[in-house]
Amino acid sequence: MINGFLQLLIFQAIGELMSKFLIPLIPGPVAGLVLLVMFLKWRGAVPQKIDLVGGAILQHLGLLFIPASVGVVMFLPLLQEHLMAVSMALILSVVATIWVTAIVLKFFDANRQGDEHAS
Amino acid sequence: MRPDLPPIHEIWVYLAGSPLFALVLTLAAYSFGLSLYERTGKHPLANPVLIALILIAGTLTVGEIPYQKYFEGAQFVHFLLGTATVSLAIPIYKGLSSLQERMGILLMAMTAGGLTSIAVAVGVLHLMGSDDSLMQGMVAKSVTAPIAMGIAERIQASPTLTAVFAVTTGVLGAVLGRFVLNAAGVTAWWQRGFALGVAAHGIGTSRALSVHPVAGTYASLGMGMHGVVSAIVLPLIFRVML
Repeated sequence: MINGFLQLLIFQAIGELMSKFLIPLIPGPVAGLVLLVMFLKWRGAVPQKIDLVGGAILQHLGLLFIPASVGVVMFLPLLQEHLMAVSMALILSVVATIWVTAIVLKFFDANRQGDEHAS
Repeated sequence: MRPDLPPIHEIWVYLAGSPLFALVLTLAAYSFGLSLYERTGKHPLANPVLIALILIAGTLTVGEIPYQKYFEGAQFVHFLLGTATVSLAIPIYKGLSSLQERMGILLMAMTAGGLTSIAVAVGVLHLMGSDDSLMQGMVAKSVTAPIAMGIAERIQASPTLTAVFAVTTGVLGAVLGRFVLNAAGVTAWWQRGFALGVAAHGIGTSRALSVHPVAGTYASLGMGMHGVVSAIVLPLIFRVML
C-alpha cells in the first residue's frame, strides 16, 4: 500500500521535474503519466502494488476535484449573467462531440464479426 | 453554561479556521453524494461530485466562509489530483495493450471529437456575446478534470471554471449519451464507449463501465488519449496563437 503510493509519488516527482526544467508546456502530472505508461510497457504488466493504490485513487477521482470546483462560488455572478449562453454551450458541445466521435468511428471502421452491439 | 468555556461562536471560528473543518465538510458531502448515487441505482443525474459541490457551496454561502479559507483545509484532498493523474497511466496501459490494431481510427475520431468540443462550446459563447474568461474555461472542459486543470493553468484559463465545466460536461454526457448515440445509429459497444470517454471523460467512462464492459474499456482509453494529447497539443496551439 505505502510502497505503491511511494512509486506513484516518485513518477509524479520526476514528471514535475521534467515539466520544470525540460518541457514547461506539459503539466508535471501528465509527464509523470506518460513516464508511467512507458514504464508499464517496459515491464509488460502493472505491478500489483501500483495497481492497488492507483485503482483506489481512481475509484474516487471525483472526490479529488471537489476542492477546486467549489471555487465556483466566486464565479456565481458571472455565470448567472451568462446562464443561457453557458448552458447552451455545454449541452450543444457535449452532444456534438459524442456524435462526431461516434460517427467517425462508424464511418471508417467496417464492423467485425466479433463486435458486440447494443440492441 | 460554565464560565471558563469560550462562547460558542468562538469555537466555531476556531473550527472553521482549521483544516479539519474543510476536510470533514468535503468528505461528508462526498460520501452523502455517493450514498444518494447508490440509492438512485447510479442515476447519472445523481452524480456524487455535483451533489457534494452544491452542498459545500451552500454551506460556505450560508456560513459566510470565504472560499480561500475553505481551500486552506481542502488542499490536502486537492493535492492528490496530481497522483491521480499519474494513476491514469494504469487504465491507459491496460487499454493500449488490448486494442492496438484500431489505434489509427481511434486517434482520428478522438481528434475530430476534441476539436468539435472546443469549436462548438467557444462558438456558441462567442455567438451569444459571452465573457472571455468563460470561453477560455470551455477549452479543456472535455478533458478529464485533473488534466484539464493543468492545461487551464497553461492557457491562462481559470482552473476553477474549467473544473466546473468539466464536471457539468461529464454529467451531461452521461445523461444524454445514450440518446445521441441511438439517434446517430451507432450500435457497436466499443464505438459507443469510446465516444463517451472522449466527450464526457471520467463521468462518461464510469457510465459506460456500468452499461457494458467493452464500452467501459474503450471509454477509459478515449478519456486517457484525449487527456494526454490535449495536455501536449493545446498549450502549444495557444502559444502559437498568442
